Amino acid sequence: MRLEIGNFQVQNIEFGETSSYKNGTLTVNKEEALAVVLEDEHITDADIILTKPGDDVRIVPVKEAIEPRYRLNGGPAFPGITGKIERVGSGKTVALKNCSVLAVGKHWGSFGDGLIDMSGEGAKYSIFSKLINVCLVVDTDEEFERHEIQKKNHALRWAAHRLAEYLGSIVKDMTPDSSELFDLEPITKRDETVHKLPSVVFVMQPQSQIEESGFNDLVYGWDTNRMLPTFMHPNEILDGAMVGGSYMCCSSKWSTYDFQNCPTIKSLYNEHGKTINFLGVIMSNLNVSLEQKERAAMFVQQIASNLGADAAIITEEGYGNTDADFIECFRLLEEAGIKTVGMTNECTGRDGLSQPLAALDIAADAIVSCGNVSTLIELPPMGTVIGELESLMRDGLSGGWAGDEKLGPSVREDGSIIMENNAMFCGDSTLGQSPKTVIEF
Amino acid sequence: MKKGILYLNQFFGQIGGEDKADYEPSIKEGQVGAGLLLNSLLEDAEITHTVICGDNFMGSNEIVAVDTILGFLEDKEFDIFFAGPAFQAGRYGNACGVICKAVKEKFGVPVVTSMHQENPGVDMFKKDIYILKGGDSAAKMRKDMPLMAKFGNKLLKGEKIKGAEAEGYYPRGIRLEIFLEDETPACDRAINMLLRKINNEPFVSELPIPELETVPIAPAIKLADAKIALITSGGIVPVDNPDKIQSASATRWGRYSIAGMKRLGNKADGGFKTIHAGYDPSAADADPNICLPLDALRAYEEEGKIGSIHDYYYATVGTGTAEGEAARMAQEIIPYLKEDGVDAVILTST
Repeated sequence: MRLEIGNFQVQNIEFGETSSYKNGTLTVNKEEALAVVLEDEHITDADIILTKPGDDVRIVPVKEAIEPRYRLNGGPAFPGITGKIERVGSGKTVALKNCSVLAVGKHWGSFGDGLIDMSGEGAKYSIFSKLINVCLVVDTDEEFERHEIQKKNHALRWAAHRLAEYLGSIVKDMTPDSSELFDLEPITKRDETVHKLPSVVFVMQPQSQIEESGFNDLVYGWDTNRMLPTFMHPNEILDGAMVGGSYMCCSSKWSTYDFQNCPTIKSLYNEHGKTINFLGVIMSNLNVSLEQKERAAMFVQQIASNLGADAAIITEEGYGNTDADFIECFRLLEEAGIKTVGMTNECTGRDGLSQPLAALDIAADAIVSCGNVSTLIELPPMGTVIGELESLMRDGLSGGWAGDEKLGPSVREDGSIIMENNAMFCGDSTLGQSPKTVIEF
Repeated sequence: MKKGILYLNQFFGQIGGEDKADYEPSIKEGQVGAGLLLNSLLEDAEITHTVICGDNFMGSNEIVAVDTILGFLEDKEFDIFFAGPAFQAGRYGNACGVICKAVKEKFGVPVVTSMHQENPGVDMFKKDIYILKGGDSAAKMRKDMPLMAKFGNKLLKGEKIKGAEAEGYYPRGIRLEIFLEDETPACDRAINMLLRKINNEPFVSELPIPELETVPIAPAIKLADAKIALITSGGIVPVDNPDKIQSASATRWGRYSIAGMKRLGNKADGGFKTIHAGYDPSAADADPNICLPLDALRAYEEEGKIGSIHDYYYATVGTGTAEGEAARMAQEIIPYLKEDGVDAVILTST
């Protein structure tokens, strides 16, 4: 499959009369953009607020991030979400780089939501602090989940994907600033020189632990809880086949943006034909019951073995319970003689004294650590809040709390906050972006 | 100028050799022996006093020795406490560890010592204090003392500690996140590690698998006489969550009476609900007994299968909850169970 992504390097976004792109400036007709958002009658209130790195701005509760994209064949950028089911990963897609659409609750947060600071000390904790963000701030009539800790956030998340596709469409007839080519031939049709290199699979374990539909990551619009591990072409993941969910503790989460820009896939592409033969992606999942965990790990082992993989990189979107899926999969790959490296974050507690993963096995002898979810982070007030600051302590966000004997509430009267890394929006980037590690002190 | 105090044994304190190993603790103004070297290497601090104690005296009269030395220090002003280096000397290593730990606990000042990796003092005290990696014999004094001084200077200046490996001390079992100075992203680190693993070259895992602590299975009990308690990490609490237990990363637990209760009432009836954010709450809210099986246990009680049920149940939330916090909560709950003569616990999750 051959995918060409035409990149437009956005340096500035502003509102204007006509949606257009010129010399790095994206001009957005707000009314037109909001009309796309309001196609869903469940959205009762919507606004778009622009913010850029360096702004004195705090954004919370953030539920999702998406890179604006448009598929030049006119097909949906997010099949099963913004249009019908259609295979992606080949042909041409355009992308607005250096920016993202953020789905932000106007009032209400949920367990998997996170926080982004656009400047100051807090900005180092999320890659989204370094992007120009188009914040879609929305309230809905989804009363059934208004006061639930777990929310599907369906209307907002779907609207944000529509908005991302609308923004992408602005540049559909223009010549991109640069382009990236992702071309990976079918496994049996590769050159002899490539075949001789050690072959590597990338095993992804997206979040799929909620039995009820509507919370988990989606593959072509399908709930990843309802699937067995399957083989995918990496281009599909880069081109919108995977969409983020609405459940996991936020620093462990993979947003749609993270899938679209998956750094590990790009690094494996870079090595392909030089040091390795990149076979492709095994899309697994994360499960609740032991039998499901074992079945999924068994399928990953089977697929990897029968593809003839010599080595694997495995990563999980979660921690705690999901460490069992991660470690079991790691163990079975090693058992099959497949040399494996894992990428995950840890939960060592605020004092760093706790066991790093809930499940451990000596077979997991090569792990890259992406952060500690329980790191305590204290940040000063920011001038402007997009969303509602109280949500961090009120609505059950995984890294916030209403009260604590020693620390007080997460949100203080002056607007300063104290929270766990858990609520930093996609902060541990276990798809490969994380500049963090965990060391012994 | 800041002030430091150094602990030495009888040999390095120039009292004498093995024949003076029973030497009782003393404190001297200024520096003695190796203390001169340490003093010369401290940047903005001086060693104002030297404590000397025989290794055997510390080994066989630990409580007396520690009390005496802490007594010496009570009226002294000091910002840091050093001991050793102890090299591979086992008794000296133990003494340095004992006194450093006691000084740290009583006075809250930073403490630094140094030992060779085979000194038994390392494993005994590395979790409590900074023990720098040192040489195996006194011949390494000129190497180990400067390292103690360098690390001491850093602590005194309040500089950022860059971790056990970078600073050269034995890991204390504390794992914390850092931002890498070169910001190498995880994907590049993973691919480098993978290539090394593929090529059978040495590599270093960023998460070494720790030794697992396993709990042996307890001996069987006689169920018909047993008093059983229920504990859950499934977040089942009275509907108003009176103890404000957090929905994730919990640090709190609750103790709630179930005396005389046949089964737990549900959320709709104003009884019990789950506040656990890590699973779909609808089933447990509709019937909390599926998470905390009081109904089933009462049936066993009536049938005579078990003796009785402890009058309280205990609850916390087990999502994102650090293992250390969970262990602490268990330690806090155990006395209540012991006091009431509980024989066994049924621990339910989600």
